[in-house]
Amino acid sequence: VSESLAIPSGPRKVECPEDEDFRNALDKMVSENIQERMREPVKAGNVDISVPVVLKSNKKTYEQLQDTPETERNKIGFVLMVRKGNKLQYKNFEADINSELAQNLRDQELAQKEE
Amino acid sequence: EEEDEEYFNSKELPNYACKYCGIHEPNCVVMCNCCKKWFCNGRGNTSGSHIINHLVRAKHKEVTLHKDGPLGETILECYSCGVRNVFVLGFIPAKADSVVVLLCRQPCAAQNSLKDMNWDQDQWKPLITDRCFLTWLVKIPSEQEQLRARQISAQQINKLEELWKDNVDATFQDLERPGVDEEPQQVLLRYEDGYQYQNIFGPLVKLEADYDKRLKESQTQENIEVRWDVGLNKKTIAYFTLAKTDGDMKLMHGDELRLRYVGEMHKSWAGVGHVIKVPDNYGEDIGIELKNGNGAPTDCNSNFVVDFIWKSTSFDRMQLALRKFAVDDTSVSAYIYHRLLGHEVEEVLFRCHLPKHFSAPNLPDLNRSQVYAVKHALQRPLSLIQGPPGTGKTVTSATIVYQLVKQNGGPVLVCAPSNTAVDQLTEKIHKTNLKVVRLCAKSREAIDSPVSFLALHNQIRKMEANTELQKLQQLKDETGELSSVDEKRYRMLKKLAEKELLEAADVICCTCVGAGDPRLVRLKFHSILIDESMQATEPECMVPVVLGVKQLILVGDHCQLGPVVMCKKAARAGLSQSLFERLVVLGIRPFRLEVQYRMHPELSRFPSNFFYEGSLQNGVCADERKLNKIDFPWPISDRPMFFHVTQGQEEIAGSGTSYLNRTEAANVEKIATRFLRSGVKPEQIGVITPYEGQRAYLVQYMQYQGSLHSKNYQEIEIASVDAFQGREKDIIIMSCVRSNEHQGIGFLNDPRRLNVALTRAKYGIIIVGNPKVLSKQPLWNHLLSFYKEQKVLVEGPLTNLKESLIQFAKPKKLTN
Ligand SMILES: [Zn+2]
Ligand SMILES: [Zn+2]
Ligand SMILES: [Zn+2]
Repeated sequence: VSESLAIPSGPRKVECPEDEDFRNALDKMVSENIQERMREPVKAGNVDISVPVVLKSNKKTYEQLQDTPETERNKIGFVLMVRKGNKLQYKNFEADINSELAQNLRDQELAQKEE
Repeated sequence: EEEDEEYFNSKELPNYACKYCGIHEPNCVVMCNCCKKWFCNGRGNTSGSHIINHLVRAKHKEVTLHKDGPLGETILECYSCGVRNVFVLGFIPAKADSVVVLLCRQPCAAQNSLKDMNWDQDQWKPLITDRCFLTWLVKIPSEQEQLRARQISAQQINKLEELWKDNVDATFQDLERPGVDEEPQQVLLRYEDGYQYQNIFGPLVKLEADYDKRLKESQTQENIEVRWDVGLNKKTIAYFTLAKTDGDMKLMHGDELRLRYVGEMHKSWAGVGHVIKVPDNYGEDIGIELKNGNGAPTDCNSNFVVDFIWKSTSFDRMQLALRKFAVDDTSVSAYIYHRLLGHEVEEVLFRCHLPKHFSAPNLPDLNRSQVYAVKHALQRPLSLIQGPPGTGKTVTSATIVYQLVKQNGGPVLVCAPSNTAVDQLTEKIHKTNLKVVRLCAKSREAIDSPVSFLALHNQIRKMEANTELQKLQQLKDETGELSSVDEKRYRMLKKLAEKELLEAADVICCTCVGAGDPRLVRLKFHSILIDESMQATEPECMVPVVLGVKQLILVGDHCQLGPVVMCKKAARAGLSQSLFERLVVLGIRPFRLEVQYRMHPELSRFPSNFFYEGSLQNGVCADERKLNKIDFPWPISDRPMFFHVTQGQEEIAGSGTSYLNRTEAANVEKIATRFLRSGVKPEQIGVITPYEGQRAYLVQYMQYQGSLHSKNYQEIEIASVDAFQGREKDIIIMSCVRSNEHQGIGFLNDPRRLNVALTRAKYGIIIVGNPKVLSKQPLWNHLLSFYKEQKVLVEGPLTNLKESLIQFAKPKKLTN
């Protein structure tokens, strides 16, 4: 038996009341915080959030992304748009090919093709 | 090995190491902006990642990503409005580009203009999914890394968070310091003596008091806008709105708040007042009546601060009662003393003269089991009367009190844990023409109730014989204060008058804690009845008991909800078990009222079989519980109940339960609207949901998304199970707030809570939930099977309900 098989593969989840309390508290926090914002109408900012053209031009399709070397194949590049004061920033990051984010992009492209 | 340990200890972790487990991979950690501590995005052996565990437990909400992480140093905030609360943040991808942007769910992600800007609005997802941050924001440490890190348990996490409240620099090592870890001693079934009893309960009361104190004192709120007013009694009233607290604390009438002015327009000022108005369906305003309005900056409206004032009175009274029980042998009769401690004592019967007629004047005639209950109580020094839902507990209690007075003379002390329950019982007892005094806490004297006229402070005002007191009172009311000589005289006369009234009373009614009022200390009560006693903690029950009881009647139902204990430690140690329940466990058979007059017979079947061994009989027939002229699509016409199968959308799992609940909320609204359309009045409907979050969501949903005008929904009461205990509604709709596959169903697996939920409705009940998930619980499996057998497990739109063929999960074994 190899060593890696002999040791446990990861931490085992331990069920306990404290953990259950945590889960309930989280659910509560999420819904309460959202409720609170619905109740005291916060105005949406007047910021321009359109997808910038710069990013559009160097856009790769899902298929093009597939042409990258195999090592990078299970990743897919994305850009997060952030605002720092009035300055726009683009932060590159990679999402897993199986992630919902990547899947969604592929679905969109397929849909467009069919049109 | 020792050397290894030394090496390990000397090697310092970087400051960005997870404060729980020590993982310090920059990719995998996040900083909490509030306390500047770092945590990893791994869950270890808990069900959420360490950072989420921290945010939830510490109630912190903002984070920053590590500079060497996937996105570099980034504060997570809404691109549009800049909000940083990670619990409302999510992201939207562009429709056809690999670009994403962070937006809050409300209102930014809901803006209409997004579509035009090529964002895929429907794809909004929360940043916290499955109780971790999304992995493209923060990586999850590998399984192997997590295994090598410190294996911190959820209990240890809790304790560490507790330690941080007192000392922000506390570390995991501090957890091992002696004393920190100690769990209090568990409550027992039997006690050697009153001293042991006090030694076990005293520390639990202390724990609860400390918890309550910390909670109240942490609630200071700034930037409060105040609106001033003057009450009919000429006292200054301040109205203001508080930002929503985390929901753990509810303001109650009579609570004390301190209002402070911190602005520049007036010299600094602080004043204390009692709460006279709490937020309700009609407004979020809180009103306090200032004790002393002199010098209040009534021309200023902003720059106020509100502090919550913690009062130790109720806890002090419990401690005092415990001590009295231990050291004072006149506090209770010897017989009661030994019975309460669980000693072997034979049951005795009083040789008393039983009345011919057991009913009391102006109260309904009793049924057979009620008559036996009265007889049972009159004959015994200690009796338990169990009143299942709708069995006429209050009338029975009032009759017992009436008969006790007839038999032994007064005064009989009548208590219950809550003011509402005391008022209800007071009203009934008053009907029998006994002389009743309702004793209120001084801080509640201004609060109106149906029995205000029976309150001691109001009866004094009407005492005709006492002209001098009347005059002084009038002067005080008119001018607001008296000269010190007059004030002394006034107090003396008032005390005498109070004494006179109390001594002449047949019955004195107050809350359990109210029985510790100094005005009662000199009185001895031979007979004491405590209603709703399963809702009081044991030390709370002891407050009235130690006033000399020789005959104690506990009325309650241990199959309904027990007392609320906020401190988990104290609750775990057994403080949440009522005296009623312990006495039942000790083998004292409660006498059970058996005829229920509330529910449609079809509705009482399951509760009767499951919670009361099938002993509940129906005192109402189906015809009396028929909603006349109301056209509602019950699947089986003479069975006003169904379970509406509602399968949440599984695609958003994890922390986003509020989304899962949206489906249920929508169904609840449809059902409620259908009832309203067919002529049911909103106040006839109650909506029960176990989570505060869903409650708030439903209120909003009905108001804004309901298909009728929002006014129609205002009087529909939406509350937790606990808030409905002791009450009834014509129609109950229950939203189970089903959870995902990986999660328990929380509150709903408490049989007592389910019992209360199922027994509130008189005419009809509808449960909205997901059988697939609920059926894993043995309790719910039974309920679902029952609904299925009755052919009222249905699915589909209200206009076309069809029997559901859904398969249930195999229930797990029944635990505890
Ligand atoms: Zn923090
Ligand atoms: Zn960690
Ligand atoms: Zn926003």
